[in-house]
Amino acid sequence: MRLKTLFVAAGLSFFAAGSLASSDMIGQKAPDFALKSSTGENLRLSEYRGEVVMLNFWATWCGPCRQEMPLLDDLYNRYERVGFKLLGVNIDDNSQRAIDMMKELGVDFPIVFDASKDVSKLYEVNAMPVTVILDREGNVRYVHKGYKPGYEEKYLNEVRALLRE
Amino acid sequence: MTTQPIPDACPKAAATAVLAAFLLTASLPVPASAEDSESPDADTVLAEARDLELAEAASRNEFRSLDEDVQSLKKEVLDLNRDLFLLEEELLFPANSQVAFFISMDVGEYFELDSVQLKINGKEVANYLYTKREAGALVRGGVHRLHMANLKTGDHELVAIFTGSGPNSRDYRRGATLNFDKGIGAKYMELEITDRVAKQQPEFVIREWE
Repeated sequence: MRLKTLFVAAGLSFFAAGSLASSDMIGQKAPDFALKSSTGENLRLSEYRGEVVMLNFWATWCGPCRQEMPLLDDLYNRYERVGFKLLGVNIDDNSQRAIDMMKELGVDFPIVFDASKDVSKLYEVNAMPVTVILDREGNVRYVHKGYKPGYEEKYLNEVRALLRE
Repeated sequence: MTTQPIPDACPKAAATAVLAAFLLTASLPVPASAEDSESPDADTVLAEARDLELAEAASRNEFRSLDEDVQSLKKEVLDLNRDLFLLEEELLFPANSQVAFFISMDVGEYFELDSVQLKINGKEVANYLYTKREAGALVRGGVHRLHMANLKTGDHELVAIFTGSGPNSRDYRRGATLNFDKGIGAKYMELEITDRVAKQQPEFVIREWE
């Protein structure tokens, strides 16, 4: 019993350490990357400097991602013309699955493929989905792990605040 | 007409009346003459205006000097950053073992660059994806430093694999190899993409800068 408790505690502390690592990025310059997008074009993060950028790490096997994506798409369509960019970073090994899911959900924000998981490692993604919001200077300002109904309100407020800066 | 003498019988009452009248006049605000009221007020206003102006000028100066301070501080930070960068480069890539690889493009009518993979002695050292903007910059004459490495003196093999779309928008993947000798001193290599008009094909050349 005591051993079990010890394991649970160790597990919890590991999880806490993991989340600390990602949250540590807040205030730091967002690591730059270039990935192939669903349109075949290469997209580089640093080319969006001057705009508020949301990076959404997702996978087809992740249920909450499926819930979250249409809401993010609404946010993107609403604020794109005022300097907001949304990049979905898909981590599936097979990118065709991601394209199929996008079609199924009817979302059309730009998606890039991180099949090698290099960018996910760079951003210390240890949950799914993970949403990172960057300011116009390219600094990490907010990191959200997972998705629960109501998070979209947080995203909305944060994006609006950053757009106003 | 006869005047009624004030009865001597109440001198106390008369004194009280005089005192009350005096107190009344003393308590009422005394209207000052126009001249008296204007001259000190105008002076005060003028002095205040002068003070204000001086204070404003001082704060303006202060702001300007603060702004200048911030600007010079910014410049110092930039200089420091540049020095640090150069120092770091010198430390990490000493001139003697330094090798830099550059990508350039001439015309680019038959080839649209997507990515370049660089291998030195069979080991992948760089894999760079070019965005439309970056590829456009190369077509317009830009040169991109793809990689910088430290190599010891001796023979080395360089393999560059270019991917993109070739004539008629077909997927294109081509490699170029060069064996080179690294002597003492820095070395600069250029990976050049040119158009071969006769064959209507792109050409990939690796050459050393003298």
